[in-house]
Amino acid sequence: MGRTVSNFLLVCVLAGAWPAAQANPIDDVRKSVVRISTTEQDPNWREPWSPGRVQRGRGAGFVIEGRRILTNAHVVSNARFIAIERENDPRKYPATVEHIAHDCDLAVLKVLDAAFFNNAVALGTGGIPDLESTVSVYGYPIGGDRMSVTRGVVSRIDFEAYSHTGVDSHLTIQIDAAINPGNSGGPVLQDGKVVGVAFQGYSGAVAQNVGYMIPTPVIRRFLKDIADGRYDRYMELLMTTFPMRNAAHRRALGLPDDDRGIVVSNVVAAGPSAGALQRGDVLLAIDGHPIASDGFVELEGERVEMGEVVERKFNGDKVRFAILRDRQPREVTVTLRADTLHRTLARAYDAPARYIVFAGLLFQPMNRDLIEAHSIEDVRVRYFFRSFIADELYRQHPEVVILSNILPDPINTYLGEFKSAILDEINGVKVRTLREAAEALAKPADDYVLKFIGKGRPAVLNRRAVGEARERIKTRYNVQREQNLGEEAAR
Amino acid sequence: MRTARFLLLPALCLGLLQPALAAKPGKPLSVVRVNVTCQTYDFVRPWTKKTPFTLRGLGAVLAGNRVLVTGEMVMDATYVELEKPQTGEKTAATVECVDYEANLALLKPSDARFLDETRPLSLTPATVGQRLAIWQLEATGDLAATDGLVTAIEVGRYPMDDTAFLLYRLSSPLQVRDSSYTLPIVREGRLAGLLMRQDSRTQTVEAVPQPIIEHFLKAAAAGPYRGFPSAGMTFSRTRDPQFRRYLGLNGNSKDKLTGGVYVATVLKGRPADRAGVKAGDVLLAIDGVAIDQDGNYNDPQYGRIALTHLISVRHADGDAAKLKLLRGASVIEVPVTLNHHRADDHVVPPYVADRAPRFQILGGLILLELSKPYLKEWGREWWKDAPLRLVCCDRFQTELFQDGRRRVIILSQILPSPLTIGYEDLRYQVVTKLNGVELKSFDDVTAAIKKPLNGFHKIELQDDPKEIYLDAAQAAAAEAPLMKLYGLPAISR
Repeated sequence: MGRTVSNFLLVCVLAGAWPAAQANPIDDVRKSVVRISTTEQDPNWREPWSPGRVQRGRGAGFVIEGRRILTNAHVVSNARFIAIERENDPRKYPATVEHIAHDCDLAVLKVLDAAFFNNAVALGTGGIPDLESTVSVYGYPIGGDRMSVTRGVVSRIDFEAYSHTGVDSHLTIQIDAAINPGNSGGPVLQDGKVVGVAFQGYSGAVAQNVGYMIPTPVIRRFLKDIADGRYDRYMELLMTTFPMRNAAHRRALGLPDDDRGIVVSNVVAAGPSAGALQRGDVLLAIDGHPIASDGFVELEGERVEMGEVVERKFNGDKVRFAILRDRQPREVTVTLRADTLHRTLARAYDAPARYIVFAGLLFQPMNRDLIEAHSIEDVRVRYFFRSFIADELYRQHPEVVILSNILPDPINTYLGEFKSAILDEINGVKVRTLREAAEALAKPADDYVLKFIGKGRPAVLNRRAVGEARERIKTRYNVQREQNLGEEAAR
Repeated sequence: MRTARFLLLPALCLGLLQPALAAKPGKPLSVVRVNVTCQTYDFVRPWTKKTPFTLRGLGAVLAGNRVLVTGEMVMDATYVELEKPQTGEKTAATVECVDYEANLALLKPSDARFLDETRPLSLTPATVGQRLAIWQLEATGDLAATDGLVTAIEVGRYPMDDTAFLLYRLSSPLQVRDSSYTLPIVREGRLAGLLMRQDSRTQTVEAVPQPIIEHFLKAAAAGPYRGFPSAGMTFSRTRDPQFRRYLGLNGNSKDKLTGGVYVATVLKGRPADRAGVKAGDVLLAIDGVAIDQDGNYNDPQYGRIALTHLISVRHADGDAAKLKLLRGASVIEVPVTLNHHRADDHVVPPYVADRAPRFQILGGLILLELSKPYLKEWGREWWKDAPLRLVCCDRFQTELFQDGRRRVIILSQILPSPLTIGYEDLRYQVVTKLNGVELKSFDDVTAAIKKPLNGFHKIELQDDPKEIYLDAAQAAAAEAPLMKLYGLPAISR
């Protein structure tokens, strides 16, 4: 149940056409909504050499066109086994993940047994429901075993953080229907069409009747992205902007009092906008849509944040900006590519945790999971996490390697002061990634001299002592494997 | 009728007490009650002060018509008053000298004859195992002494952040009355220390000891007070045998290098730096006294004591200490002229006492100098709760500001007005430049405001949005309305 606590699952059925003559929509919903039971094994961030704890999860999903099931990424993340059940069918069908998009918390599942789709109905997708209109939420929330339906009105349409990765925000619709753990991945319907996938909410102490669903623009984008058989993720401009609502600010930059334009505050040097845009540029239009001074554009009759234009684009797509630079109008084009910087910080799924154990020192790359697992409150680590992109810390440290824990042994008994410190250098060579750290530690040397950022003295490990301690530490702490440099986990 | 009788009673009591006091003229007291009213500035709204509060304590009377209390007691004092225990007679007092780091202050009564009937205390050292008397007063004004056993003498934390000095640790069942701050601790009628902290749960008491008091009094007598000196470096232990081998500190070498600490950082511009001490040196001895692997030396009086005592207490500001260093394979001697590092010499001052924090309100933008008291407005866990960028400015100040900067100027908050539309959410931002002028001290703010660029104030920030503008003429015209609207007594200080 771990994953169902903060995120709620709802099952939606996205299908092609909705049969014209629908006698009773609930019948079709019953033929579409599925219950997903998973056995998951999350990485063990504290002892990354041991397989994580096995736990059960439950969520919802729904049949969409192409004999697939759509659900939330968080329902099936780290799943070892997925079983699917339908209403009115006693069998449990094993399923596998075909595509998973952690950044927008969506996944598509395949059921191997073709019999599963007999009599199944794929639900059609609708648009963005109106504020105050009523929607129905289907799923398998706590409180019983069978499918549940709750009803609510659309409260708000906004950009919100998606908690699954801890670093992403997309368009979100807030509804006041009760959404509870187990609703995640289930469909939200209006007039027989899917208008969203229920996915997260607040626990009761914070707010009441606040549930969120992933709206159809995000769902459609996901399905389109995977149409070529690969998920490329969301594209980011990797720049920050500031509204131009202050009269003096406008005059200082030579802008007329027409409520138009926002100013570029910062362009990430490693991002796609670098070269095209620069600090101080005033953005007047994006792909021909005028940008208001609060950063909003009008899209399909709705006022949405400028970023929504980019949200709907794919790898290699272009974004055209009409700008003012030094008061001169210009056109610039940004070619989008998938962002990797935010991925470095995001929670990681579907891969074992990466680490090195050396002389009882556990080194791990910084991400949100790691900071939470070790409850790291160190000011410098928090700074590296918070300002990783803004202060361009990724230049020196594409991966921030942290000494996250020490397995006590005579060899490291005087090294306690280095816990939670950031590894900077091994034997005079800068360490930029976990892999580089492993390579440096594999090179023969009399002493391994490790420097950490902000620590006055180095940690010195004698090679012979390291060799002697090796088996001892492995045996005592049951470290089956001393390192996993692995591949990047899916994020 | 009833009220009349009640009014009579106190008079009767006094009548009874007076002869009792007069009956022991041979035992003049050596203490006076000290009542201090303190009022600290509100560092978030520096044009106001917080609610005043009162601290009470017992000062030790010293020769020269002075009273010794802890420094903490008089921090941000607005009114200091001395009270005779037995008669309740009061007089105002001034702080003659204070050291917040060493936690000591000397008070002088405004009535020069106020201490005439008291017996000044002289100082005496204490050693571990001795029993001392912690003095308090009964409500009647009689002395009440509680036994305290000296269990340890060591260098420990003092109330100001990052300060450590010698202290006495006592074990005592002391029950502190009327939340007394300072209490004298006495051995055989002489002052051994001043109580600075007490924990009734563990029955422990920590005291500012005689050596610190003596150093303070000596420095106070020497003219303009300069605090305890330091060298401006930090050390790491060398206990780790692998680290020792790496440093060439093998016990079996011909030099028998069995001790020594690693110089971890040398702060730029401080005495050690000026004398040429380098990070990576190993400090072997100070003034011929050997330093062990933990950074302690063997004190003839106290046993193992942290080396800072050798620097800060054995020397006065301006003295030279002789450092014996191992650099590479050679041993060198470096004289280091020590000095006191004042709180205001830090880029982010660890405390701001007895001076008003500076501020400037520019068209509704509240500009301040960053200080630890400002960060501490976020409460006990300020280092977690305060804005991370500002916490980093404090925590990493010696790494960050090596360019001669003297203060960090911040945009703390905004007092919204029509001028600041669109800026309302900006706060806790480091301001790097104003009108093109790099801000290295608060005076730079004042100077830069006078020179707007093309009629605008250009405010450059370290973080997004990086820069904003105000209309200079509008900002000037807004001063009076802003003061009225938000009840500000001034627009700057």
